[in-house]
Amino acid sequence: MVQTDRSRPVQPLPELLEALRDRGLRRGVEPSGPVPPRPALPTGQPDLDRALGTGGWPRGALALLDAPTGSGATSLALGTLAACQASGGQVAYLDPSGSLDPATASGLGVDLAWLLVVRPAHAAEAVELAGWLAREGRIDAMVLDLADTLLPRGLDRLADLLVRSGGVTLLLAAAGRESAGRLAGVRVALRRQAWLAVGRDLVGQRVEATVTRQRWALAGSRAELDLYFAEGRRTDTLLRAAAQPLAASAMAGATLEPPSLAVVGA
Amino acid sequence: MRLLALVWPDLRLPEAETAPWEPMLDRLDDLSPRVEPVATGVALVDVTGLGPLLGEERRIAARAVALCREVSALPVRVGAGENRWLAVLAARLAHPERPDAPAAFRALDRRELADLPLDLLPADPATSQRFALFGLTAMGQLAALPRSAVGGQFGAVGERLQLLARGDDPRPLAPRRRPARQVRTIVFDPPLEGVGAIALALRRACAELCDVLRTRHLAPGRAALRLQLEDAPAFGVQLAFPTPALEPDWIARLLLGRLEQAARARRLGEVEEPRVGSIGLVFDRLADPASRQLPAFEAQAARWEELRWSLERLAARFGEGRLWRAVHDRPTASLAERRTRLVDIGPSAS
Repeated sequence: MVQTDRSRPVQPLPELLEALRDRGLRRGVEPSGPVPPRPALPTGQPDLDRALGTGGWPRGALALLDAPTGSGATSLALGTLAACQASGGQVAYLDPSGSLDPATASGLGVDLAWLLVVRPAHAAEAVELAGWLAREGRIDAMVLDLADTLLPRGLDRLADLLVRSGGVTLLLAAAGRESAGRLAGVRVALRRQAWLAVGRDLVGQRVEATVTRQRWALAGSRAELDLYFAEGRRTDTLLRAAAQPLAASAMAGATLEPPSLAVVGA
Repeated sequence: MRLLALVWPDLRLPEAETAPWEPMLDRLDDLSPRVEPVATGVALVDVTGLGPLLGEERRIAARAVALCREVSALPVRVGAGENRWLAVLAARLAHPERPDAPAAFRALDRRELADLPLDLLPADPATSQRFALFGLTAMGQLAALPRSAVGGQFGAVGERLQLLARGDDPRPLAPRRRPARQVRTIVFDPPLEGVGAIALALRRACAELCDVLRTRHLAPGRAALRLQLEDAPAFGVQLAFPTPALEPDWIARLLLGRLEQAARARRLGEVEEPRVGSIGLVFDRLADPASRQLPAFEAQAARWEELRWSLERLAARFGEGRLWRAVHDRPTASLAERRTRLVDIGPSAS
């Protein structure tokens, strides 16, 4: 019979998971053996890379960005495409609703010259096209933006094809989040915490990202992400300078007052 | 200039089987882009400048022989010289080092010609007889005579032979030309029922043409297919490739897809299963597949070229109007959303 030590205080689950992760524990793997790092694509957000436990989106994953409309899912997805392009990857955006704004994508760092935009006739064809591209194996990261349309069939097959090809698909499905979450290998919930503003201008939003499902590592981690709008990204460097006391003192000799970052409650 | 002359004595015989001749020339393309088929069984290869890459001439010759032996193991004599006369003469004089050796090699310099007999010159019997009457038996004797005296006694033919005896040959190498196109025609007897029935024959024709081009290091940039119908006017389709490619399976499938689209557009469906009498397949815009190395200077450019092939297939499967690319063509527009626009990059747009 197993004896339990009731006198020891129970460690809270998040701290326990963090401690296990520090010791190199992965789900389904013996903790003593060496764990080869799973190849991953950067998310464009270092904090989220750490929270995912695999250093980014695991290759071969169908990842659901579980976020209500306007919570930064598209910004995060486009940031991922930009980061993938920066590492020499090939990216695509599947846009059945025609909602992609190239100017926004360019503002978020996506190189439009190497962005493939696919416009399927409807959501079902979008899933089929995504499967086709995954099977061809030429695309490293793609965004499947189903917007508010109902979730079509075929996502399970797409997930299988992705595992074989090693590509990553970020699924934006505001309307079908629950059913898509069961098929996705990675699920990240985004909730807005605050707006980011410079003066009276909103330049972005602070979002809490929670890894609610992670097939290749331990889930449950959280990260706080500052997602800037396309125009706000240009002032990103100055905003960081303002937020750092050292950097602000270094700018003391400047005639212009550095902009200050304000966090406004959502 | 340094030339290699390769002579296959067995191919020079009147009753010789000459089928391996063209494939052997194709193999020699691996060694040098300048290959001249002088006659069946005699080839000249320009090996100028290959020394630093491949080593001394004997090794270059061994490489040429090895390439040709991939096709046929016929015995070969190889000569090296600074012009075509010296190279061919060297090949004639080459003797195998042992009786069962598959190849013989000799390099000839113009200084070695003086002691060689005059019979080796390509002179007609009358001129040879007159040389003998004048007591000329070695090439050095003819070479030492004044040119005007030789011209006066033997005419223009004598002057040309004296140039050869001195080791001079002004005739340039005439490398064989690349084919401009490859054509394959298949006649069906009895005719096939329906356009879709040609798939197998089309796949076979594509594979055959790709095999021919692969040996010559070429790839088609465009394919054209023409159908002769028994009960309807002939019609055809064309397919331009994003890059020269040797993918027979996909070329056939894309051509078939275009063909079915064209058949629907021409309302061939009104004719109940048109009967196909023959198909003609043409590959043209032949280019060196090695040119595809150029996009390697930018990693994504190379990967995009690979992707273009996938997109061609995607367009054939899902139809047009699906593939777009954003361009930043109005950077000074006041509204951000007007600085960029989407352009169609599907096959119809190209």
